[in-house]
Amino acid sequence: MYHDGVLTAPTLQAWDLCRSFGTGEMRTDVLREVSIDLYPGQLALLMGPSGSGKSTLLAVLSGLLHPDSGRVTALNHDLWSMSERQREDFRLKHCGFVFQGYNLFPALTARQQLEMVLRWGNGAPAAEARDRADRLLGMLGLSRKADLRPTQLSGGEKQRVAVGRALIKDPTFVFADEPTAALDWKHGEQVVELLRNAAHDAGATILVVAHDARMIPHADRVFHLDDGVLVEGAERPLPMFAAAADVPAYEAL
Amino acid sequence: MSYALATLWYERARFFPGVLAVAFSALLIALQCGLLLGLFSIVSIPIDESQAHIWIAHPEVPSVDLGRPIPEAWLSYIAMPEIERVEPCVEGFGYWDKPTGGMELCLVIGTRVGPDAFGPVRRLTAEHRALLAQPGAIVVDEGEFGRLGITKIGDTTEIVGKQVRVVGTVTGLRSLAGPYVFCSYETARTILRPPPDQATFLLARCHNPADARAVVERVNKYHRKIMAMTAEDFSFRSRWHWLTKTKAGIALGLAALLGLMVGAVVTYQTLRSATTASLKEYAVLRALGIPRWRMMLMVLSQSFWVGLAGIAVAIPLIHLLAIVGNIGAKVILPWWLWVGAMAVTMTVALLSGLLALRTLRHVEPVTLLR
Ligand SMILES: Nc1ncnc2c1ncn2[C@@H]1O[C@H](COP(=O)(O)OP(=O)(O)O)[C@@H](O)[C@H]1O
Ligand SMILES: [Mg+2]
Repeated sequence: MYHDGVLTAPTLQAWDLCRSFGTGEMRTDVLREVSIDLYPGQLALLMGPSGSGKSTLLAVLSGLLHPDSGRVTALNHDLWSMSERQREDFRLKHCGFVFQGYNLFPALTARQQLEMVLRWGNGAPAAEARDRADRLLGMLGLSRKADLRPTQLSGGEKQRVAVGRALIKDPTFVFADEPTAALDWKHGEQVVELLRNAAHDAGATILVVAHDARMIPHADRVFHLDDGVLVEGAERPLPMFAAAADVPAYEAL
Repeated sequence: MSYALATLWYERARFFPGVLAVAFSALLIALQCGLLLGLFSIVSIPIDESQAHIWIAHPEVPSVDLGRPIPEAWLSYIAMPEIERVEPCVEGFGYWDKPTGGMELCLVIGTRVGPDAFGPVRRLTAEHRALLAQPGAIVVDEGEFGRLGITKIGDTTEIVGKQVRVVGTVTGLRSLAGPYVFCSYETARTILRPPPDQATFLLARCHNPADARAVVERVNKYHRKIMAMTAEDFSFRSRWHWLTKTKAGIALGLAALLGLMVGAVVTYQTLRSATTASLKEYAVLRALGIPRWRMMLMVLSQSFWVGLAGIAVAIPLIHLLAIVGNIGAKVILPWWLWVGAMAVTMTVALLSGLLALRTLRHVEPVTLLR
């Protein structure tokens, strides 16, 4: 269990990230000198209005999109001075992703969606991959759905499978871009809880993009991105003091 | 079960056209070639129907119907312990005087006709052989009567001016070009008048047929100016000559190629659409750092399974159509043709898979972030 996340060193740090799209008249600066530190064992929430650059920031921090300038270090590796291959390897070893869409293979069962990551990613033997998939499906409350395909699952169940796909390799980092956008509040909350457990129980560093203010109580830290400028919004106290603390209200967008 | 196979089964409606196209290619190749083989098998009847294990010919003979004179003295070259006996054979084209008027080119085949001779085609009965011992006696396929302008056994006519008499008929030995005229060695010599002491082929029989190949190799090694062949080899050589000489082979080959191309295009489309439908899922895997080659392998295994399914569909269809085809024509489907057609078809399926790999270039994890 991680109770002292803030006291340990950050696992992910970024300095002065800039990123723009387009050129000339069409140019928009999406990230303006964004700096951020993320710690293990915490779930950080990234909020902000639509088009504010949240997805762009997540992509830059997770090694999917090259920044124009600035630096990202993850586990003390300079992410953007690595070769493409090295970055891919880094993601393979350390990163899990959840996206807004479920993006599950229609032909495969819930178990296969998870297994696949271990078998293709780590070359894990079939039996081991199956065991780990079944164990995780149990933790996600999907034991009885292991043999079902996406069409036989509800939206919430599908997104939990997608979360499972991100968590199956015990990643150091999980990046989730609006994982709850397509879900009702009850199921969205479930998904965020699962991600939070991954932070608190497994010590993962988790960054979740969301725009529903009701998520705030579930987060350890909250960042707010507006027009490419990041401010640390409503910071929650450390989990051990959580019970006593007051959660500042987040202003609706 | 592999993920590729699971996908193929689950999305069978999507893959079905590809499977059909592959089956169609296999069908087309197998039947086209089968028909061609059936057609040209007629050419090698004098070899396939004879009981000789080894044929000795002039080295420039491309086909059994195009023999050239060789010295009968070459007999001594194959006097080996494995050889049981050697018989000469005279063969050549001659003009047949149709009693109804006009001429017809026929292929005269003269062999020993004694009771223990092995040169004659199997369908000549003991009775035929006895009758053929008479000078000028011949046997023809009854299906050739029209072409030869005769109507019954006992009819007489002339081949290049020599009197011949039909003493019997056989069936199933019709020819592609000139009708076959079966007769004794002596009768054939009278008609064709080869130089003295020359024959067209020397036929040999081994005590053990399995020795034929070794004997042939030994003869060819020591005697460069003569050509010894096993019956199978000469049969193949004769068919091959006709296959390449006539344009029929090319025409049918082109048709088969067209079938392959149709198969390849449809299979490619199928695989491409399946891959395009899964681009987002692949993109997630790429974000998770799973190397691209895994996805390539997935597409290729899909193409493999499409190929296999297509072949599974094709096999019963080919059997069925071969039976139907055999009513009007002869379809020959040796095992190697099956294997070849299946291999070509699978290759086409895999090539379509290789082409479909280009679709994976569109896999870009960052597109999942919106
Ligand atoms: N590939 C791109 N090309 C051009 N503009 C882009 C691209 N990606 C994002 N943008 C623009 O950058 C801005 C921020 O996008 P994004 O990071 O997706 O915002 P958010 O996730 O906060 O809604 C938007 O105005 C969007 O139109
Ligand atoms: Mg977004």
